[in-house]
Amino acid sequence: MASSIAKYRTDVWSDWCPGCGDFGIVAAMQKAFAELGLDPARTVIVSGIGCSGKTPHFIVANGVHTLHGRAIPFATGIKLANPELTVIVNGGDGDLLGIGAGHFVALGRRNLDITVIIHNNQVYGLTKGQASPTLRRWEQVKSLPRPNIQDAVNPIALALSAGYTFVARGYSLWVDHLKEIIKAAINHKGAALIDVLQPCVTYNDVYTAEYYKDRLYKLEEEPGWDPIVKEPSKEETEEKITNALKKSLEWGDRIPVGVFYVNPHVETFEERIAKLNPSYREKPPGMQEVAFNDGRPLVGVDEFREIFREFIVEVKK
Amino acid sequence: MALKEALILIGGAQGLGIETSAVVLATAFARKGYGIFASREYFSNIVGRHSYINMRISSNRMPYSLVYPVHLIAAMDAESVFTHHDEVMEKGFLVYDTGTGKTRLSQIASMEPPLKERLSKSLGRTATVEDVVKKIESEKGVNVIPVSFKLVLDTLRSKYGIGLAQAQRFRSSIPVGIVAGLTGLEEEALEYGLRRRFSKRPKLVEMNMFLLRKLVSDIEKEYGNQLKLEKSTNSHEEVIVASGNDVVAMGKVVGGVRYQSYYPITPASDESVLLEAKESLKTSKGSIGSLVVLQTEDEIAAITSAIGAALAGARSSTATSGPGFSLMVEGLGWAGMNETPVVITYYQRGGPSTGQPTRGSQSDLLFAMHASHGEFPRIVLSSGDHVEAFYDAIKAYNLAEKYQLAVIHLLDKFLANTIASMPMPRWDGLRIERGKTVFSTSNGGPVKRFDKSEPISVRPVLGSGAVTWYTGDEHDEWGHITEDPVNRIEMYEKRMKKLEIADKEIPETERAKLYGTKDGDFLVVGWGFVKGVALEALELLRSKGLEGGYLHLRYFIPFPSKYVADILGNFDEARVISVEHNIQAQAAQVVAMNTGFKIKRFVLKYSGRPIYLPELVRALERIVKGESLKEVLTYGK
Repeated sequence: MASSIAKYRTDVWSDWCPGCGDFGIVAAMQKAFAELGLDPARTVIVSGIGCSGKTPHFIVANGVHTLHGRAIPFATGIKLANPELTVIVNGGDGDLLGIGAGHFVALGRRNLDITVIIHNNQVYGLTKGQASPTLRRWEQVKSLPRPNIQDAVNPIALALSAGYTFVARGYSLWVDHLKEIIKAAINHKGAALIDVLQPCVTYNDVYTAEYYKDRLYKLEEEPGWDPIVKEPSKEETEEKITNALKKSLEWGDRIPVGVFYVNPHVETFEERIAKLNPSYREKPPGMQEVAFNDGRPLVGVDEFREIFREFIVEVKK
Repeated sequence: MALKEALILIGGAQGLGIETSAVVLATAFARKGYGIFASREYFSNIVGRHSYINMRISSNRMPYSLVYPVHLIAAMDAESVFTHHDEVMEKGFLVYDTGTGKTRLSQIASMEPPLKERLSKSLGRTATVEDVVKKIESEKGVNVIPVSFKLVLDTLRSKYGIGLAQAQRFRSSIPVGIVAGLTGLEEEALEYGLRRRFSKRPKLVEMNMFLLRKLVSDIEKEYGNQLKLEKSTNSHEEVIVASGNDVVAMGKVVGGVRYQSYYPITPASDESVLLEAKESLKTSKGSIGSLVVLQTEDEIAAITSAIGAALAGARSSTATSGPGFSLMVEGLGWAGMNETPVVITYYQRGGPSTGQPTRGSQSDLLFAMHASHGEFPRIVLSSGDHVEAFYDAIKAYNLAEKYQLAVIHLLDKFLANTIASMPMPRWDGLRIERGKTVFSTSNGGPVKRFDKSEPISVRPVLGSGAVTWYTGDEHDEWGHITEDPVNRIEMYEKRMKKLEIADKEIPETERAKLYGTKDGDFLVVGWGFVKGVALEALELLRSKGLEGGYLHLRYFIPFPSKYVADILGNFDEARVISVEHNIQAQAAQVVAMNTGFKIKRFVLKYSGRPIYLPELVRALERIVKGESLKEVLTYGK
């Protein structure tokens, strides 16, 4: 049920630099939310620190602006406590792939139903343009005193190997294209990554809109490109992952955007928990009663005796 | 003459099952109504290093401290004989494996060099187990019980046709049988203890029982019930026999935990592992909820995911130790800034850095109180024994939700790894308090999560129907970033006011407790695990004509300043003694900070070992008599 985009706009002034790629990402999110008809009260945007960290303040939906690198574990706790919520993570490349890289990998291992949007501009913008983990070796954006001597991490390849079951790349200036990817990622059951290339107009004079203009191409326009695992077979999964990995290595003259890989057959973390503990699905833990109306704990002495029976010793002198 | 209590030390290499011995014995003695207190000392190691259990079994009380020398040492290997030979009392008992009789001190590869060096000086480098045994036999009249472990296990092998390796798994029953034989523990109790330990493996129970019957009858024939215990006069009809880790997990379940995160760390993870086993909260009437226990990728994820779960309405906690808490600090600050109820169960161990992972300490009090940059309210409370730990685990969630802040529940390795008998908790008066938490609202739109009209705002959880914003930045009432100076002052004060409210609402008598008299000759001030040994020390000093009190500190934030100052006001500074497991007397510093009273007498222990009753009595006596200003305790291997 679609709703109006305006419904998702707060009146908080966006203090990003004019022309910042973040505007495109927020616009694409708001459009996607509107087209999906997401209930703002049942949607949670969790962000990290830096320019991208401000994202939730500009969108009408629950917003949790967290710590540098930690958006994913915050989101993990929220989602586990209430799996009925739609949870989206926004973070920068430094945030998610540098300081938060461990959490990024952990989310893939769990395949929790969360969508992660990386604002990938190859720099730490809010601290004035240092090299981020996606800037390549020997590249020198304008605020660096010397070229970068660390290698770049490949977000797509990392997500694939970590276990994300939806892996895509978007471009912040192609708002409608990005919107479609965001919708597909939210609809996907499992951990979804969208690596969004986003020019930093202030600090990145290498990866500019001009740079991307003639290099980006859409995967879905490639003849025969099919990133979706149709059958949960080992062969098909391997084939699709291999194709995606190969594509993820393309950079330079031709840079692919679009959906790299989708595998809807991997159990989500919520399903794994419910398998061990079927009552998990009945009511979200965060919404469960833990006491009677008068405040007495739900676990009374009888329940306690049953749950912890192995510790209770009946004295028989 | 029968004994009122029995003191037993079981030593052996890690991985040889002495913990099983201790649990079976503890359960069996508890079955007969005895009070149990058993502390476990071990290395950061899985197999091979020396570990031991010091157990006190009492016919007329629930014991709360450790005592030396002991009645009986059951040495499962040569290292235990060398290490503990001087801890047995005169005319006590020492059991050793005759198979180790010729083993020399110099051959014990697993023994740490400093101890070997010290023992070499007193025993000689070439001393054998037999030499040591003879020495204590002649010098202290110790009754030595030589047991061929091999022959004992051979009887099992021939009866059940099992191999040597399999038979080794039954070694844990050897000390159990010997203790049972000497103390006259009944067979029914032993079988009860075994059934508990091996509930799903009846064959193991049968085989162990076979071994125990044989050992008990051999020991009774040869030595009689020389450590016969008086019949228990304890009145409990049922007790819980559990470790400190276990009782905290129990408290959390009663308190309504719905999310617990952890990263594996000694000595905290056993609590989370037990919660994991109880995840489905199953009863005969069906499941009464579901608890998510998440093993995270690190402690940063542990605290931040716990905060996330709390935002979504779950009673949420994480359990850790010092190194883990060090990592959690940024999350603590975020919870403070965002007024999020989260509980951190903090088992202190020896620091700094990796420190002594498996040894106890109380050296993180000031850290827990002050961790994180910036200023924000938190509650820090500590438990001194199993009973307190159980109720505090419940209380911590109530405080967190009522005042919308992080609660740090301080415990330590000593309590975590002490198996004790504890009376069944009482439920009367137990209440779950969730404060201004809102789970359902028809609002449907943005609300002021940080409404400034009251210090404690209404807290609609994520998913309640409201739209809310949170940020670690200073924020306005909506949770949006603002650096406005006027708002800054208001929000800063709003947060801090919650602590003033907590200070008003939580009775000071809950936050500190005076045991004994405030008109006596001296006052001991302590906290946490010091409680048990301090209380028992007071009893012993009373019998020596020294009347004193023990002031047990429970909450450090908010500190019960008036209550504590009133009591301290009764004493001359020469009569107030701080007893703590750290070098800086940290709680004494907190007392000074909050009351202006500077404690100037100290009994401190920072070897990583628990304070033993006799050493504390001696130290207090010296200080009270004016012979010393500060005593540093050192007992324990």
